[in-house]
Amino acid sequence: MLTHPSQKTALDQFNALPWPEKTSEEWRRSDLAGLIAADNGDGAFSVRWDAVPPEMIHAGVILTDLTTALKQFPGLVAEYLFKTGTPRGLTKFALQNQALTRQGLFCYIPDGVHVDLPMHSWIEPAGNGSPLFPRVLVVVGEGASATLIDERRSPADSTAMLCNEFTEVLLKADAKFSYIRLQRWNESARELFGHRAVLKRNAHYSHIQIGLGGEMSKANLETILSETGAKADLLGILFGSGKQHFDFNTLQAHEAPHTTSDLLYKSVLKDTAKSIYTGLIRIEKEAKQTDAYQDNRSLLLSQGAKADSIPRLEILTDDVQCKHGVAVGPVDEDQVFYLMSRGLPRAEAERLIVSGFFNSVLSRVPVEALREELAASVSQRI
Amino acid sequence: MSTPLLEIQDLHAEIDGKEILKGISLTINKGQVHALMGPNGSGKSTLSNALLGHPKYKITQGKILFNGQDITDWKTDARARAGIFLGFQYPIAVSGVSVANFVRTAMKSCAGANFQAKEFRKEFKAAMSALGVEESFATRYVNDGFSGGEKKRLEILQMTMLKPTLAILDETDSGLDIDALKTVSEGINRLRGPELGILLITHYQRLLNYILPDVVHVFVDGKIVRSGGKELALELEAKGYAPYEKTAVTA
Ligand SMILES: Nc1ncnc2c1ncn2[C@@H]1O[C@H](COP(=O)(O)OP(=O)(O)OP(=O)(O)O)[C@@H](O)[C@H]1O
Ligand SMILES: [Mg+2]
Repeated sequence: MLTHPSQKTALDQFNALPWPEKTSEEWRRSDLAGLIAADNGDGAFSVRWDAVPPEMIHAGVILTDLTTALKQFPGLVAEYLFKTGTPRGLTKFALQNQALTRQGLFCYIPDGVHVDLPMHSWIEPAGNGSPLFPRVLVVVGEGASATLIDERRSPADSTAMLCNEFTEVLLKADAKFSYIRLQRWNESARELFGHRAVLKRNAHYSHIQIGLGGEMSKANLETILSETGAKADLLGILFGSGKQHFDFNTLQAHEAPHTTSDLLYKSVLKDTAKSIYTGLIRIEKEAKQTDAYQDNRSLLLSQGAKADSIPRLEILTDDVQCKHGVAVGPVDEDQVFYLMSRGLPRAEAERLIVSGFFNSVLSRVPVEALREELAASVSQRI
Repeated sequence: MSTPLLEIQDLHAEIDGKEILKGISLTINKGQVHALMGPNGSGKSTLSNALLGHPKYKITQGKILFNGQDITDWKTDARARAGIFLGFQYPIAVSGVSVANFVRTAMKSCAGANFQAKEFRKEFKAAMSALGVEESFATRYVNDGFSGGEKKRLEILQMTMLKPTLAILDETDSGLDIDALKTVSEGINRLRGPELGILLITHYQRLLNYILPDVVHVFVDGKIVRSGGKELALELEAKGYAPYEKTAVTA
């Protein structure tokens, strides 16, 4: 444990709360048993990052692992850790992470500081087979801006792994932050992944989920637009083959007027891979003049592949713009014929169609150099 | 005599069990331009698609020989790499894929190890400017939101880059304004030469003023009912297809 006082409370709450029912709405489409840790873990993993430029360190930027941060900046970490509130989804697992985590990533951008170059970090299991409980905490100060690519990798020879991760993001007023989670676990990894971002006045958050690996990836991603003018771009790319299973739930919680959220998730599934997307847009009574969008599209490359998509709206006020869309289907055979008529073998034609399909997401990645890097990672996976 | 470029022998094809091509025989030699004219729904696009091996169209009888080789069972991409190009009547949009990326990928598929990135860029730029398209065209998504004229220009741009030896141009002139028709026709004419054979499908004799055909075929109800010289196109323009549509009259 991190020896944080709230961890004891979290452990008590975790123990008091029963495991969810297999038949509950949250779990009826995904295998719960495979995600319950057999032991309370001490899974070793490494947290790494590319060095932040010295002038940024002088300006007060911190990018380090959570244990080091707790030693070097105890006051700062204590001020923000475990402060984004209890998530509505995967609650038991979020408590488990809070109770048991002893390591993770800490990223802090002081007020008014602009980190121009994208920062880069990654987490990799050491492979002793025990479950991992990484915690990520990001705080972006007033008027500050930054981009972080946070990668998940597995060592080449790694065996099965269970990971229960939780990320907290706090954007203060006028902060601007792009968080890209590039998930490239190996094919036998199973993960639970919670995320809660809280956006203050006029903060702008771009959250980009790229899910390429893992046998099972169950995620609950919550974005709270807590003050007026906050804006969130929520993007996702999922590519599954073999027996991969993605189950993503998102929450766009509009708690203040003049807030905007725009979600676009796209998945491509091959073989017998499966994706489930459930998403809730909730607009509170106070959140007048809010724009909220949600769009989920899936492309199925084989007959055995499957995608379910269940959008939900809870709107407690009027005077809002709200739209959601869903589309699931196989590749368009006319497109395949058109590309093949130019000499592309079928597999190559499909690859191009898939990369085009993902492009509407990638083209919204705010940093140009990043766009290409991500496109390369994705196309390598395809 | 040298081997014909394309030899279609008594080709029958059906879609969803309905016969559309009812025994087509046609020979195109290298360097020749053949025009194919016929009423709507007579099966011209079906023939184009069948020549490229579209999986929806089932060949029930007959053969397609390309440079003497029987390609009737070949996959679409193999036909393309062998040198057959189809300019689509209705080009397909592929969103998210830029024109430049698409053409480059196609060239790589066709040229294999011989593909030269630097050469490609130079040639691509030159081809775009010759067809009067702006450079921004390269970064737009393939046929996505293109006007009718832009789509047809893109088809000829691809043909220019891929340098086929047989080009089947399915109504490349439809949807073009007078200036665009000229630019596109010039684009096609620049590619003409002793090696290239063209099957030009059109409704308008106007196009044939720009691209002079060696042979004109009249295509009605899945069959070639008459073949002749350029004057046949003029005759069709004057009299229409009525004299050929026996079946339609008796039905
Ligand atoms: N994919 C398809 N599915 C069903 N029917 C089809 C399909 N393609 C063609 N057909 C039918 O085959 C017949 C011939 O169509 P085709 O498109 O080949 O005609 P065309 O001569 O090219 O006509 P146009 O001059 O209008 O382009 C038509 O009756 C058409 O409806
Ligand atoms: Mg047609």
